[in-house]
Amino acid sequence: MTTTFMSKFDLPISERIKALKEKRERINKDMRLNFERNRIITEYYKNHEKEYPILKRAGFLYEWCATREINIDDDDIFLGDGGPRCRTVHFDIEQTSQTWIRSCFGDTDERFRAAWQVPGSVWVDDEDRQWILEAADYWKDKDIAATARGLFPPEFFERMGPFVEHLAGSYPGHFNPNYERAVTVGFGAVRRTALEKLEEIRKHTTADNVRSELFYRAIIKVCDGMILMSKRYAEACRKKAETAPTPERRAELLRMADSCDWIIENPARNLWEALQTMLFYQYLLIADGTHWADSPGLIDSFLGPILENDLKNGTLTPEQAQELFDAYLLQVGNQIIMFPKPTNDQLIEAHENGKTFFDLQGGAQNIAAGSLITIGGQKADGSGDYNLATEMMLLSYYRLRVAEPSLALRINKHTPDRIWELAIACSIRSGGMPQFNNDDVIIQTMLDKGVPLEDARRYAIFGCVEPAVSGKEWSMAANCGGFGGGASLVDILQYVIYGNVNPMTGAKGMLPCKKLYEYESFEELQAEFERQIKHYLDYQARLYHFAALVFNHEWPCLSASVMTEGCIESGKDVTWGGAKYNGMGSMFSAVGSVADSLMTIKKLCFDDKTVSTKELYDALCANWEGYELLRQRILNEVPFYGNDLDEPDAIMQWFTNFYADYYNSRPGVNNGTNNCGALDLYWVAAGKRAWATPDGRKAGEPLSHSSDPRQSAVKNGPLAYVKSVAKLPWDKMRCGGAINVRLDANSVRSEDAISKVRKLIEAYFAMGGIQFHFTVADTEVLRAAQKNPEDYKDLIVRIAGFSAYFTHLPFDMQEDYINRVELGV
Amino acid sequence: MEYKNVTGCIYDIQGYAVHDGPGIRTTVYTKGCPLRCLWCHSPESQHQEFELGYLPVKCIGADICQNACINACPEKAITRGEPVEATDKPGLMQKAKIDRSRCTNCLKCTEVCITKALYSSGWETTVDEVYERVMKDRGFFQNGGGITISGGEAMAQFAFTYNLAKKLKDSGIHICLDTSGYAATELYAKILPYIDLFLYDIKHMDSLMHKKLTGVGNELILKNARFLAEHKAALQIRVPVIPRLNDKETNLRQTAEFCVTLGSAVKLVQLLPYHKTGRTKYDRLGWRYKLPHLEPPDDDFMHKVLELFQSYGLNCQLH
Repeated sequence: MTTTFMSKFDLPISERIKALKEKRERINKDMRLNFERNRIITEYYKNHEKEYPILKRAGFLYEWCATREINIDDDDIFLGDGGPRCRTVHFDIEQTSQTWIRSCFGDTDERFRAAWQVPGSVWVDDEDRQWILEAADYWKDKDIAATARGLFPPEFFERMGPFVEHLAGSYPGHFNPNYERAVTVGFGAVRRTALEKLEEIRKHTTADNVRSELFYRAIIKVCDGMILMSKRYAEACRKKAETAPTPERRAELLRMADSCDWIIENPARNLWEALQTMLFYQYLLIADGTHWADSPGLIDSFLGPILENDLKNGTLTPEQAQELFDAYLLQVGNQIIMFPKPTNDQLIEAHENGKTFFDLQGGAQNIAAGSLITIGGQKADGSGDYNLATEMMLLSYYRLRVAEPSLALRINKHTPDRIWELAIACSIRSGGMPQFNNDDVIIQTMLDKGVPLEDARRYAIFGCVEPAVSGKEWSMAANCGGFGGGASLVDILQYVIYGNVNPMTGAKGMLPCKKLYEYESFEELQAEFERQIKHYLDYQARLYHFAALVFNHEWPCLSASVMTEGCIESGKDVTWGGAKYNGMGSMFSAVGSVADSLMTIKKLCFDDKTVSTKELYDALCANWEGYELLRQRILNEVPFYGNDLDEPDAIMQWFTNFYADYYNSRPGVNNGTNNCGALDLYWVAAGKRAWATPDGRKAGEPLSHSSDPRQSAVKNGPLAYVKSVAKLPWDKMRCGGAINVRLDANSVRSEDAISKVRKLIEAYFAMGGIQFHFTVADTEVLRAAQKNPEDYKDLIVRIAGFSAYFTHLPFDMQEDYINRVELGV
Repeated sequence: MEYKNVTGCIYDIQGYAVHDGPGIRTTVYTKGCPLRCLWCHSPESQHQEFELGYLPVKCIGADICQNACINACPEKAITRGEPVEATDKPGLMQKAKIDRSRCTNCLKCTEVCITKALYSSGWETTVDEVYERVMKDRGFFQNGGGITISGGEAMAQFAFTYNLAKKLKDSGIHICLDTSGYAATELYAKILPYIDLFLYDIKHMDSLMHKKLTGVGNELILKNARFLAEHKAALQIRVPVIPRLNDKETNLRQTAEFCVTLGSAVKLVQLLPYHKTGRTKYDRLGWRYKLPHLEPPDDDFMHKVLELFQSYGLNCQLH
């Protein structure tokens, strides 16, 4: 959908970039898992069982740097990959479920081959299969889940069964690594500081600093490993140069070799070196633990001056710079983490239907390792932070139409018109890239957490929508990170209605309570709802604190600690609370379903008294069978959230405020803050686990998405929709939350479309909203894409906190997206 | 207040009406129009009287609502239709079927239809009520947005339109009036102080053709345009480009020339390619669409039209 006003951004991409894009497409049909990293860690841990956990981790990372296979492809603009070859699928054996490994690779030969040895999809060698089964035996009582088993209280297992191991059995991830330090300071300087600190401790060892000595020794080891890895790449470049097909490529490889000898140890001297440093560091982060969503924050801020210097001294042309940004994005996007881990049944079924392993990965949320890049914003002194790198990053997204990594743009009064224009054009074309973030409110939420103003101004987004101080905060978003356990408010609603049980799954809640027909008043029901939320959050807090202990005890995260501000300074790993700031997120979801359900109960049963609570309860239990007239009355007569109506919006405000206030006021992990947010990636799946709800929804149907109103409930048009959502207590949503707007293609047809979308975003922000995501997609086009996916490979839509290629989404999510409210006339 | 009880008939109020003037606007659509443009995309706007609208897709079948509309109809115009596959579960359902020859638009059925599959094509309202509603969107009007009063022909309900504009103007709201130009000149003179921008249609320069296409000649329309220009109104001229009906080069040139004669009053000329989105609305009313085979003009042609208008020094855009 290129209109005339947008064509000015539509510059051609280079042949080399085209080739890199094609390479990715090819590899998507030939996926390999990264066994190399898992072999190295297993070997190291076997041979060093008694080594202290943080030294063991450092030893493994050094070994990985020193022995991993290094490959340089013929067309590569940037070197290497997190795995032995481009786009290897990462998974960590020490956090992978034993049950999964055994059920996949311990299956019959025939089923194993039908799942894992299918050309065009995914390939696991017989040798690797044999190896992983043996390795699983080794890790059985030594992996992260085993640590959790060793220290979790019995009640966790009683309540959650085997699922509890899954929760604790994965790295939390979700933070903004300090790429700035890696690029502008380097590992050599960090190593020197660690050495100085170590010498100091040796002089005066105390009970307080003895553990820090081990930490510094580990950091030095990691720095040594990284410096060595960079030099190994230098060597590989020289070797490759010997057989280079052209003199130009030979010269380029020698230049790269020279750079790799310098970078990592020393600060980057030019744009190529800066971007390559970031990639090397990213490979380390992925190898350490599959940190889902390590997110490069505010990178344009330090890349801008380097870029401008290159342009000024004539070592780089603008076209070459643009190509470097293009290649960097593709390279970040090439990192892929296996999630969810498919079962053999799923793989075999997919293969029978002509689908691949890659299709099963379900869109962009797993690719790019969940990374999100934040650009723009403010400097510590409050002035605007936009430069040529900001613009080139946006242009790269516009040109490449990639769904991964995600992109977030910070908006404030300094945002230049040109950036606004480019960002909106980019979002129209690239399906919701970037998302827009409101500095005014987000900086205030940072201040509320106790972050000083200079650091508050340097926030970035990680994961999907979650803000944190870039490079200085060990942050976790509960919903999506390893800790798991964001709250579907619908779970709590079900307990309140059905008497502490979810009729769909039979699962019992934690707190016995009345059934819908036993409440005397709406206020009594509200009080029960609050009591259940509190109880849930208290339990969740215990879960988080114990899960943090798992990592503190045995699973440090050195790749983060080596750069995160606060760790080197304090001598503590991030998992020991070393980061300058610590945060723990809890996300609620299904706001629309819950608000409308409560509104229905209030209006019909208690205000108008036209339906008794017993009748509504019976209708719900019957999944509306025989009660269609009542259901239709509800759908058509009850005032719902999303229409700028006081009553339902007030109900929404009541429970979201209650949740946020209670959660934010509790002490967080590592003595950090608790950060409430509103986001959900699993509303379709969660709907399948939920019985009928009073808003007229039938059992199994999707829930409303994140903080958005229910699709069918929006009747008063787009402005009312936006206004209702703006009424959430966004100033308490320290962990973020976005309005997702799907604009009708017609509404961005005319030449002033960009200015109108801008005004809509500005108005939403002026009303207190913090994040705005929009996609433009025609229902007709989406339907066509379902029929002929091959013709619509580039079609990107914004889903939740992330964008995804539409054709990679599972069918039920495609349907849900098509049914989303379309705004515009 | 004088305008408190002034009533009007409208058929919609829409927020984020991005095609009805600058910025983010909320548009009030009044009912009733003296013109009958062949390409009219809002058939429900033509008569001021309310008609019965029917959206079969919303009908849940007579079994569930127990013949609500059938029982309510005094003319026996509604019956059970042919059994069709039910949408929400296996089995068949019978939706309402309307015999338009019997229907008198008494709208009794719309009062009992739970899902509003049967609905009135408009409603009566007051200036105050509309004012309250549109002012809820005020937060979006910063930087150049506001309210557009459109139709039908808003000038056909002059008391309502005039009082609404006046009341909004008193609250400092930017107001556009979307008009065909077909109303008495003295009414335009009266409303002029309260309108920030007129969205003014020019459909054909030849009066006979104009009459053929819209049912009325263009003399009054052109006269009012000149009147508004002379009295310092701001005009945004809107030219619908309808293939075969008004897209001949001579007509386009005459239209552009006319815009030039209006001088600096013309802030912008918008060229609106014909589109088909209104067709389904005819089905809902049980009417026949008059241009069933007409296709929208292609992009290349529209760009040529744009260049033609630009060659007259006019500030133009495709819309």
